[in-house]
Amino acid sequence: MLTGLAWRNLWRQPRRTLLNTLSIGFAAMVMVFLLALQLGTYASVKENVLKAFDGYAQIQPPGYRDDPALHRTIEDPGMVMDAAKRVAGVTDAAPRASSFAIVSRGDASFGAAVTGVDPALEQRVSALHNTIARGRYLEPGDGAAAVIGSALARNLGVDLGGRLTLLGEARDGTVAADVLTVVGVFDTGTRELDRQVVEMPLTRFQDTFAMGKAVNVVVLGGKSLARLTDALPRVRERLPDPDLRVVDWKTLRPGVSQAITLDVSVSMLWYASLLVVVVFIVLNTLLMSVLERTREFGVLLAVGMRASLIGRMVWMELLLLALLGLTAGVLAGTGLALAIGHYGLVLPGAEAVFAQWGVPGRLFPRLDAVSAFAGPLAMLAGILAAGVIPYRRIRQLEPVSAMRAA
Amino acid sequence: MNAIRALALIVALLGGSVARAGNPDPDQLLRQAFDNWRGKTSHTTVEMTVHRPDWERTMSMDSWTRGEDDALVRFTAPAKDAGNATLKLGDDMWIFNPRLNQIIKLPASMMAQSWMGSDFSYNDLAKADDVLTEYTHRITSTSQADGHAAYEIEALPKPDAATVWGKQLVTVRDDGVLLSETYFDQDMKPLKQMTTERVDDLGGRPYPVVMTMSKTGDDDRWTRIEFQSGRFDIDLPGALFTRSNLRNPRDFGTGAGH
Repeated sequence: MLTGLAWRNLWRQPRRTLLNTLSIGFAAMVMVFLLALQLGTYASVKENVLKAFDGYAQIQPPGYRDDPALHRTIEDPGMVMDAAKRVAGVTDAAPRASSFAIVSRGDASFGAAVTGVDPALEQRVSALHNTIARGRYLEPGDGAAAVIGSALARNLGVDLGGRLTLLGEARDGTVAADVLTVVGVFDTGTRELDRQVVEMPLTRFQDTFAMGKAVNVVVLGGKSLARLTDALPRVRERLPDPDLRVVDWKTLRPGVSQAITLDVSVSMLWYASLLVVVVFIVLNTLLMSVLERTREFGVLLAVGMRASLIGRMVWMELLLLALLGLTAGVLAGTGLALAIGHYGLVLPGAEAVFAQWGVPGRLFPRLDAVSAFAGPLAMLAGILAAGVIPYRRIRQLEPVSAMRAA
Repeated sequence: MNAIRALALIVALLGGSVARAGNPDPDQLLRQAFDNWRGKTSHTTVEMTVHRPDWERTMSMDSWTRGEDDALVRFTAPAKDAGNATLKLGDDMWIFNPRLNQIIKLPASMMAQSWMGSDFSYNDLAKADDVLTEYTHRITSTSQADGHAAYEIEALPKPDAATVWGKQLVTVRDDGVLLSETYFDQDMKPLKQMTTERVDDLGGRPYPVVMTMSKTGDDDRWTRIEFQSGRFDIDLPGALFTRSNLRNPRDFGTGAGH
């Protein structure tokens, strides 16, 4: 009965109710859409940064993260890769071996992260092959071949067909030396990669660095970063060697994780201000209507209705109003997110900023339970909490003085 | 009562001043250790054993030094390593690898890397003298070793010096024999230490003929250098310390060629 009463009360002032519904609805729509856009951008940043080189996740030997030394190895990469790929959510696994070595040509020499990769498998876990600026990526069957970063190529004064010498330390303590021909130059746009990374075929690397069949890490790939990350605990259980570590994206790229956390905190402030403004607007009109209806409440009290019941009725009006507005807002927000998610949002002039993070110029909102409902639920809670104020006001009404009020 | 206290004070003062008078100048002592180590010029033959949990290997090398800045090291055995050589001129280092038949200048970014698979880094070779010139010295304790006084010297970086280490502790015997050197990082945690295991006569001087470099807290990874022969303050031809000699070793009658 209380609900029906509240509903009818709402429509005694249809214009005011509609305006309130609109402001709640608009705020909810903005929250839903912006949050979806934000989450979509984060996912895109994470996936692009990780795909550039590290991969979504890695299996590493103990101690490798703090001291990535050549002698910390996975002895039987085949078994580890098979075990990982049997876990649902893991679609790909690729072996890598890596060492810091001197790369030189003529009088120029630089330190570089020389990485041995399986040319076919590697293309499924990282996107380096998509950033080849000249020449080609490594292919199965390549021998003394290398792809190198554009800045390193410039520093060394070497281009396609040029020969690099490699000097490092093999796993058995002897000198590792090799001569490689540059078959491709990549340009990722990320300075450290373009300046430091040399990729060569894994088998050649294992020969040069006396690795046998061992590798240093296994890189994992999945349909999306989120799905692969969810699968990691099960990968951990399945590993043939319990000493091996499964390293997720946050550990691989703590900088990205921290940047996202910071961005979330800043945008939380914006969302909170939006929420507070909307709650105040609604509260304002509600207080006005309570003042206007003081006489009416006085009559209700005089005929024996308890003040707390009147308070609850007004609170119910508030709840109905909020639900009405929020439903409209969620529908509009998800609709907008879905429509724009279909085509992507192009922000003119922002490409350069995005390129730093390896993000394509088009943003795609990501709609899920969090982005669709987190904002509206917070608003609902805020509006209901604000309802305490009129409720307490009504509890203090005296029938006689209330009826005499203007 | 007062008399006893006064007496104690006098004894303490005397004792202190005696100890101070007995302590040599730490700068002098370190300088003496380095001069003893390599003379004005030196030619030594050295065996280097690198120990790892899963392997151990021994290499032989010839080493020449001139003054504080220049050094040439050429590996002679085993066959797999023979011919590899390192030349240091001032702050620059070059590496020769016979398989590549090429001289490669060591990039600055590689200075912290291991030298020839050992526990010595290129920095240990290139910046060994920093402890003399870039650090301030203080004797922190005195002990006895083989009938000699041994002084522990704490070396802290000078205010503006760009040093590899946060601190070094060097123990030197009163006759200039280096007994140990401990390397601390910027957080003052010991990272690795070099310890003299045997002192003997080499080229007519007392010399730390067996030394071991090891990472602190890791007994299974170390590098031992053992001096087989040594001659000091000899005439060395200037052409020995050149890049052309690094690539094409010539016999200067000093055992420089092989």
